Amino acid sequence: MTDQQQMDLRHDEVEAGTQTGLASPSVDVTESRQNSLWSDAWGELKRNPLFWIGAVLCLLFVLMAIVPQLFARGADPRACDLANSKALPSADHWFGYDVQGCDYLANVVHGARNSLLIGVFAVVVVLVLGVVVGAVAGYFGGVTDGVLSRIADIFYALPLILGALVLLRVGPATDIPIINSRGPGAVALALALFGWMTAMRLVRSQVIAVKSSDYVAAARAMGASNGRILVRHILPNAVAPVLVYTTITIGVLIAAEATLTFLGVGLQRPAISWGLQIAMGEDSIRSAPHLVLFPSLVLTLTVMAFIMMGDALRDALDPRQRA
Amino acid sequence: MGRYVARRLLLTIPVLLGASFLIFGMVYALPGDPIRALAGDRPVSPAVVEVLRERFHLNDPLWVQYWEYLKGLFQGDLGTDFRGRPVLDTIERTLPVTVKLALVAIVFEAVIGLVAGVLAGIRRNSFFDNLVLVSTTLIVSIPILVLAFVAQLLFGLKLGWFPIAGTREGLYSYLLPGLVLASGSLAYVARLTRTSVAENLRADYVRTARAKGLPNRTVIVRHTLRNSLIPVVTFIGADIGTLLGGAIVTETVFNLPGIGREVFDSVRAQEGAVVVGIVTLMVFFFIFFNLVVDVLYAVLDPRIRYD
Amino acid sequence: MTRPDLSTSPVPGAAFGTPVLEVDDLHVEFRTRSGVVNAVNGISYSLAEGETLAVLGESGSGKSVSAQAIMGILDSPPAVITGGGIYFQGEDLLKQSPEEQRKVRGPGISMIFQDALSSLNPVYSVGYQIGEMFRAHRGMSKRDAKKHAIELMDRVRIPAAASRVDDYPHQFSGGMRQRVMIAMAIALDPRVLIADEPTTALDVTVQAQVMDLLKDLQRDTGMGLVLITHDLGVVNEVADNVAVMYAGRIVERGTVDDVFGNPAHPYTDGLMSSVPQVEAKGGRLQPIVGQPPNLAAIPSGCPFHPRCSRRRLGAAAAPGRECATDVPPLRLVAPGREAACHYSEEVLGV
Repeated sequence: MTDQQQMDLRHDEVEAGTQTGLASPSVDVTESRQNSLWSDAWGELKRNPLFWIGAVLCLLFVLMAIVPQLFARGADPRACDLANSKALPSADHWFGYDVQGCDYLANVVHGARNSLLIGVFAVVVVLVLGVVVGAVAGYFGGVTDGVLSRIADIFYALPLILGALVLLRVGPATDIPIINSRGPGAVALALALFGWMTAMRLVRSQVIAVKSSDYVAAARAMGASNGRILVRHILPNAVAPVLVYTTITIGVLIAAEATLTFLGVGLQRPAISWGLQIAMGEDSIRSAPHLVLFPSLVLTLTVMAFIMMGDALRDALDPRQRA
Repeated sequence: MGRYVARRLLLTIPVLLGASFLIFGMVYALPGDPIRALAGDRPVSPAVVEVLRERFHLNDPLWVQYWEYLKGLFQGDLGTDFRGRPVLDTIERTLPVTVKLALVAIVFEAVIGLVAGVLAGIRRNSFFDNLVLVSTTLIVSIPILVLAFVAQLLFGLKLGWFPIAGTREGLYSYLLPGLVLASGSLAYVARLTRTSVAENLRADYVRTARAKGLPNRTVIVRHTLRNSLIPVVTFIGADIGTLLGGAIVTETVFNLPGIGREVFDSVRAQEGAVVVGIVTLMVFFFIFFNLVVDVLYAVLDPRIRYD
Repeated sequence: MTRPDLSTSPVPGAAFGTPVLEVDDLHVEFRTRSGVVNAVNGISYSLAEGETLAVLGESGSGKSVSAQAIMGILDSPPAVITGGGIYFQGEDLLKQSPEEQRKVRGPGISMIFQDALSSLNPVYSVGYQIGEMFRAHRGMSKRDAKKHAIELMDRVRIPAAASRVDDYPHQFSGGMRQRVMIAMAIALDPRVLIADEPTTALDVTVQAQVMDLLKDLQRDTGMGLVLITHDLGVVNEVADNVAVMYAGRIVERGTVDDVFGNPAHPYTDGLMSSVPQVEAKGGRLQPIVGQPPNLAAIPSGCPFHPRCSRRRLGAAAAPGRECATDVPPLRLVAPGREAACHYSEEVLGV
């Protein structure tokens, strides 16, 4: 690897918030090395309290997204009575009531589904785009890489929220499917479209790093085809940093969804969403601050769960970090 | 070095054009009628609509519209909004607010982030180090939207230390939103510094510095921090470019009339010219500061030469 | 401040006069999460002015750790000096304050390392890094320090010193970088120079030049030189005395001629037969079987016994000299020679 590539990689890792140190493999980590990397990482993870906190929280929110009834304490989020409007939390209604007099705990709990759905769907699209474009750019290099990298640069120069904001604002007026739906699919696609570049750069850097290594030269000398080298030798090396990136990114995308919805271009009522709840609560922040606080708290815990797990994964997968 | 900068500047042009075309395309090409959107429910005569469409080149193909826009851009004309106000005036009015906010944020980010990171890196595994680790994890996990509200609620409403919103109290009004805006980068700077310092403390040349009998302060400041701060300083440099463009939420929540809030309002109103103008400016900031950082790298690390 | 009483055992190298550095029963351990690693287990030696002592051993034998302990630059934690003394000109460094210790590093004892590229700070010019010695220890101005740096670079035979003083380490070749390290180390006329594998990373021809330079500098200044290496050829050429280390202990000590001519310890013997020798062309090389010991679990008795071809176990051993249970002390086995083996006399063939 040249210095410049090394630096690009470092830069990309900084941008991605992942410094896995796996960027410069000098030995083939595809076979036994890879196995020991993962078993070492698991041993490391088991001892990390951050990982367990993150994992338990994640599990909780996934469960909440699948069966919200378990957590709503028997209340129906859509059974409302204006008489209860903005009522404060009580022993029976832990989160109080919202403006319409609906049980707030039930509403907040039911918000998990959309958040998680959008976060996971968006990250899948990000990965598909990132891995395909990154692998192609890194492996073929030259003009292909030049063009693809410039395209990534163009998207990279636009802030995620801003790009998604514009697309979602004009989306409903178009005849593009999903994008014009005002639903979770539209939000996820918009986020992915303006958020795939870091994954692409990460995969591209990994591919370049591994491509120039001796064992890939050996595989090529033995007559392995491009596709085989890419799939068998190069991509497995990218798995660790991409996994770290993915975990953290789910958290980031969930936060971005809430922000877009708060700004009025994401999910629309009557959908139940933390972003909408925060936006509604903003109007009565002085009289009923709990309306902003509870969805904020749950949103934060969800984002934190993913970021903590990603952090723990990175520490575990980075041999340099170990004492 | 000069040649490198020139080459990089040339490479910036397609990115700048590409990004502004992307936004331009999204704003203008997608079906939907900005004139109708502007008019809302009020009835507008078809003749008026036609005049407006002609004036804003809305009847031409997209690339012609973009070409017209670029021609204006190179003459310093960013066009006008639907009410006839020059976009340049709007930018001149709103940019100072954003610049002030970004500067306050950068100061917070650099000072708090660096100090916390250096102390944690030097005293690895100490109580303070763990405190920094835990608190940065927390801060990074709090969406800026939530942080803005919590700060507003706590320091503005409950404690009354800072104004809740607006810019009436001058620079003081910028402190709270600046801290909120800085929080994520601040945590990142602290972590990056910590890792970098801890890594450099184990470097062979630090061992050499000790073997030379240099005073501890010299070993830490000159042989550890000087090297450790290269990635940190460059991150902060690049972050200026990001902060100048990414303050939509903070400016909206704290009601600061900067370019972030302006672009948000314009997106909502489908004020295409304003959106494209401001976004192009944001992209320019982003690219420019990244270029500055690349040059800075070479200045700070003699091993890097771009020729 | 008392000196250790070494008069009872005739110290190899005593011919050199006043000892300038004496190491007495030094113990160093690393306390890590996975257990205690006994890196140095009671080593003693002394070094006189003008003497070259080679410390010979495989990686992990504790030779570098003991050198860093002497310099006072061990990373602590995890490393802890658990016993012994290090006497520089009669003063026990381990009893001094960190500040007093620091003032010895440079003018008293200095050190050069194996990898000059990573041991020099990449972001400062070599002139700055050499000049730092004068600025930190003698309070010299930046300009004077630079003048001295140029003189030193001349002295270590770096060509065009005056024009290269502002260059950065990465702009020099490997051999020139090591010369920069040497210039830095000898800047303040130290009485002891510790060279930790100074030529291992260099090409063979450059190795010889660097060793010649070190020898010349030693002759000019009369400093004592501790040469840490695993290279028998280097030892044979430049050293007066040699201490062979194994598993954190000194297993044999004597003059180079004695030790190389007729080893008194099976480990030294093994080392000798594992290197190619010009005289013995055509013969087979004999590697030492087995692995170097794990310092977290050093074998009982003689640490070398699992790999030793002459070991005597159980009934075959003399009373009190069972190789797997009785630790052999470092003892006088011939005039001016010490070895830590129960059966040195047999090894020597006396």
